[in-house]
Amino acid sequence: MAEISEANDSDSSELQDNGSEAPQRPESEPDFDPKLMRKTKPGLKRLVLTFSVLFSFLLGFPFLWKSVEIYRSPLPFREIDSLSTQLRSDNLLFPLHFHALFVGFDHDPDHLRRSILLEITKLTSQNPKCSNSYTLSVNVDLGSHCLHSPVSSPHSSSYPCGSVTATDFVQNDDVAVDERLVSVFGGKTKEYIVAVVKGGSERAVVGKHRHAWMVVGGGRKVEVAAVKVAELLVKLFINGGREEGSIRNEFMPVGADGKIVLSFNLLNADPLDWVYDWDFEKIDDTLLAPMIEALGPVANISVESQVLYHTPKASFSFWNQKLESYVFSTKDLPFFVNSNEWHLDTSIAAGGRSNILQFAVYVPSAKECPLLLQLPNGEISKTNGFISPMWGGVIVWNPQGCLNDSEFEPSAKNIIPIQDLENMFEVFIGQFRQLFGFKSVNVYAGASGDWNLLPSERGFTEWELDVLSRQHTCFNLHSCATTLVSLSRLVQSLPRMIIMDDIGKQVKFSLEAAKLALSNASSGAYESSAAASSQARSLAEDAFFHPSIMSVSYYSFEHCFAVYSPFFLPVSMHVVLAALRELRRYKQEKAKYLVWKAKANTSS
Amino acid sequence: MALLRRPLLLLLIVTHQFLQLWIAFGSVNEEGQKQEEFYEELLLKPLPDRKVLTHFHFQSSAPPTSNGRHHHLFPKAISQLVQKFRVKEMELSFTQGRWNYESWGGFDSIPSSNAKPPGVELWAVFDVPQHLIDPLWKNLTHTLSGLFCASINFLESSTAYSAPEWSFPLASGSLRYGTLPREAVCTENITPWLKLLPCRDKAGISTLLDRPSIYRGFYHSQRLHLTSTGSGSEGMDLGIMLEQTLTVVLQPISQRASLVRDSEKHIQPSWSLSSIFGKQVSGKCVLAETSNVYLLLDRGLVAELKQLHKENEKSIENSLTSENFWTNPSFELSAKPDRIFIEECSLLSKNSSVLYKFEVEKYSEFEPFDLGITWKIPIVWLCQQAPLHASRFLTGSGNERGAIAISLKSTQTTEGFMGAHSNDERCELRVDVFQVVPWYVKVYFHSLQVFVDQQPKAVSDIIEKIHISPSKDKVSPGVMELVLKLPCSMSSTALTIEFDKGFLHIDEYPPDANQGFDIPSAIVSFPNFHASMVFLESDSLNKSPLLSKFQEWSHVMSYTEVLLVPLTTPDFSMPYNVITITCTVFALYFGSLLNALRRRVAEEERFLKDKSAKKTGQLPLLLSKLSAKLRGRRSEPPHSSPVSSSFINSKLVFKVILIAGLAVCWQYYFL
Repeated sequence: MAEISEANDSDSSELQDNGSEAPQRPESEPDFDPKLMRKTKPGLKRLVLTFSVLFSFLLGFPFLWKSVEIYRSPLPFREIDSLSTQLRSDNLLFPLHFHALFVGFDHDPDHLRRSILLEITKLTSQNPKCSNSYTLSVNVDLGSHCLHSPVSSPHSSSYPCGSVTATDFVQNDDVAVDERLVSVFGGKTKEYIVAVVKGGSERAVVGKHRHAWMVVGGGRKVEVAAVKVAELLVKLFINGGREEGSIRNEFMPVGADGKIVLSFNLLNADPLDWVYDWDFEKIDDTLLAPMIEALGPVANISVESQVLYHTPKASFSFWNQKLESYVFSTKDLPFFVNSNEWHLDTSIAAGGRSNILQFAVYVPSAKECPLLLQLPNGEISKTNGFISPMWGGVIVWNPQGCLNDSEFEPSAKNIIPIQDLENMFEVFIGQFRQLFGFKSVNVYAGASGDWNLLPSERGFTEWELDVLSRQHTCFNLHSCATTLVSLSRLVQSLPRMIIMDDIGKQVKFSLEAAKLALSNASSGAYESSAAASSQARSLAEDAFFHPSIMSVSYYSFEHCFAVYSPFFLPVSMHVVLAALRELRRYKQEKAKYLVWKAKANTSS
Repeated sequence: MALLRRPLLLLLIVTHQFLQLWIAFGSVNEEGQKQEEFYEELLLKPLPDRKVLTHFHFQSSAPPTSNGRHHHLFPKAISQLVQKFRVKEMELSFTQGRWNYESWGGFDSIPSSNAKPPGVELWAVFDVPQHLIDPLWKNLTHTLSGLFCASINFLESSTAYSAPEWSFPLASGSLRYGTLPREAVCTENITPWLKLLPCRDKAGISTLLDRPSIYRGFYHSQRLHLTSTGSGSEGMDLGIMLEQTLTVVLQPISQRASLVRDSEKHIQPSWSLSSIFGKQVSGKCVLAETSNVYLLLDRGLVAELKQLHKENEKSIENSLTSENFWTNPSFELSAKPDRIFIEECSLLSKNSSVLYKFEVEKYSEFEPFDLGITWKIPIVWLCQQAPLHASRFLTGSGNERGAIAISLKSTQTTEGFMGAHSNDERCELRVDVFQVVPWYVKVYFHSLQVFVDQQPKAVSDIIEKIHISPSKDKVSPGVMELVLKLPCSMSSTALTIEFDKGFLHIDEYPPDANQGFDIPSAIVSFPNFHASMVFLESDSLNKSPLLSKFQEWSHVMSYTEVLLVPLTTPDFSMPYNVITITCTVFALYFGSLLNALRRRVAEEERFLKDKSAKKTGQLPLLLSKLSAKLRGRRSEPPHSSPVSSSFINSKLVFKVILIAGLAVCWQYYFL
């Protein structure tokens, strides 16, 4: 009804409008062509009307746009980019301080320092991810007084002169020497100390803490010692004795939430032949607990164990007459782990994104016992085990005298002897070290000579833990940056995806933690920077794997278009066409009026 | 001096007590040094309707002193689950098919504890304060759904589970109960279940679990029940008892199917383990403490067999238990049982069932165990029924409202037990009913009506105790717990309750909404009746968990059918249709309004006048044209300018091209 009444109204106004126009048409005027000119000014009423409708529509569009807008928490894209560029441009520097102490030499400390620094720069390769900034101070202990270089170094002056003498190193007990050095320098200092002593038998030992010492024969030149010292500093104290460029160095077997679950499995291949059990609790307390405590700053480790039965291996082994045993070779290793039958299981207790490392003891069945691993060079492996990076390790344990069946009563429950179990777990600790990229042997063979490494009863020595926490920080920060960058890319590529406030908060906190880790790293606080970096990484992962991102609840543009086009397409056609028509007509009429006006002016 | 002596005395007392405590603890420790244990057992039972019940029973237990993190036999996953979610007791069952209470019996301990509603049923008791239970339940459902490859995580939503007050006698308040009636059960559920057994299906009785055979059965229920003992405080170790059962009802393929004569129609089919499972048992699982197979002949069958013997006048009273039992005139066993148990006479029935025990340990790969039974004479018997047969159905039609009716019918067999009580003047039968109704079935609890023997009765006369928690829309389901006191003499009772069908939001409909919505089974239990079978075991060393399970006093319980309620389902494209129609109406309105506003009536009239003045014959011409067309003749247009027509044509062509171009652009840029 409304439209009709309005139409009537407009009709009546039209009538009035035309009423003023029509009678004025002078029929008598000869040169007045009603098609070309008019005498009255054209009315603006309809033009204003149509344009006001058009403008109100245009004004309404922002409101509509606002109303269909979806909630997107603002993410700090710029800060994410700056973090990733900062990490990429190698700004992550870990300050290290080295202290070389020469006992029994009377050389110029400045000269020694220069030659060591030269060697160090020769050896340092450009680590693409994280680099270190190091300072070196050299001390020459002459007994009565010391020569420092650089003179004003706060590190070298702290060393009380004459407290280390060549007699300390005469004894053959390396552990005692290590303790002696700790008592002199104090175990708490963060600097790495290498003592070069002139003495009798040549020795080069790296201690359990941050100390190393070498005894140089009388006839040897001090320059050779400098080369060796430089190699120690670069290859061991900086890189942890690991091979350069190995892919294993870049990955840490630590879960995104900073946790590792060590799952130990005893696999009885065929319980019909024999069943072995183990006393895991004892081993857990004596061997694993100290290592877990030592690795505390790097990862939160938990241990669980189970015994599984009916778990044959998936590869074949062959009888070797010469060795009187069954042999499987390294090329069979990829098929050794039988994922069909070894239901090692992910842990319910761990949950989340913690990393699980499986360690399996494989007890072969009677028809493949004893089972030995043959190395590619034909030798038999001493540990009889292997590792799989990021997965874990396997050891084959052959029951004592499994060839003579008479000793064994089938299906009787046997316990693995504690001595064997201890050996096995020492191998496991070695494998665990390997999973972290360290060597499992106690000798480091460098280009300029060998270094004996004192093993720690905790599995990892202090300088190795330093390397780990530096690397952990570096790895975490890079992984955090890549996660955040991919998150920001994802968010930017899907403009109609809902982003909850939680994600925004997590990203913000992750960035804050990353910044804290960076500043801690540059001030040399390894442990706190490792903690902050793992927090940054886990927050970034939390944001990336937030359930609201996973859901398909984003409101697509197509959907929006499908809902609103049935209304806006026809209406906007009407409105725009009406406005255009009115505008055209107004222009025409105005032109007519102008023509008439000009004519009237000329005629008058 | 006295002052000094008193603390000393106190110290002495304290140390003494401490010592006692320490000694006590030590003894506990010594006792607890027992190892983790595993038992495997299988029970076979012929059923009256020519089928065979096979009931696998596996039990693993972890003593409280075993360190929570390290296990030797007990599944790691379960112990971690118990520790993480502080589960005190839990039962999870996956069932396919419905237990036929009428022909398979409803009184024994097997149907009362192993007959389960179709789909998934889960209940758990938690050992935590009230406010922590719901989050733990939600996490538990997710973990179980990952562990058993099932959609148990749908029980997470608060509309799917309920907290019964006293229907489960174990714990009030800290128990959560939920069912998924439509869950399909298949091999992907049994594989993780088998993974919890130390031998899986590699050795022992579980080798019989041939997937095609067990899923071909009429009823299949896989159950996992765990109880944890010991204090639940932090750091304390829990003892866990895990009981896994698999109940399958199978139809043995009759070996003499071709020779069926009239007289042999009632002969029970002869079967053996290899004929029903297609496999044999080749020795026990070496890790199991005991590994036994039992054959159970229930009370009705034994009574019938005795009757037959009397008729044949052989008067061998104890033929079933005598030495040459396997050459029994009515049936023959293919293996010699190691022991025969006769049930201790129960109070309720005169007859006692017979159990044959076979020890799998004695068999090996070269001499596999294959128990077979061959029937010689036709025999018909009935299984012992529950006191009342419960069934449930919907009444009413249409998509608006309806009613749920639970009918309880007295079974003949129970009259005997009732007779024992009938001397009392007020003989009453107690029945507990537990019913969960989803929120979209809006039950009016005031409309509860009770009919006893088709006579309406006052609700307060029959119902002794009632607990109702009404449903909240989209928040929680409605729960009804009733305790009925029925007179013993009644033959049928019906409970009806009316409901309205609610409307769901368009997002809440499941993918196949037209199929209908399930109302989970109601639980009907009879607390006055206890299902237990006592078999005296002479040797306590070789203890069987299955037999001790039979001895437990458990309530007789039965589940009703799952109901399917059709709800009004909308046309799911409707929102778009509505949008399109309203938008079209609005567009029309705007268009006409604008046209009307812009219209110049007087001017148009003037134009028309001008035209008619100039070309007088325009209108008649048009009319004549039209009439000519109607007549079918071509009339030549008098003044048709070819220029204008070509102009119109070109304009038309231009428009068509423009539209096509727009369409192409649209296609290219937006789609």
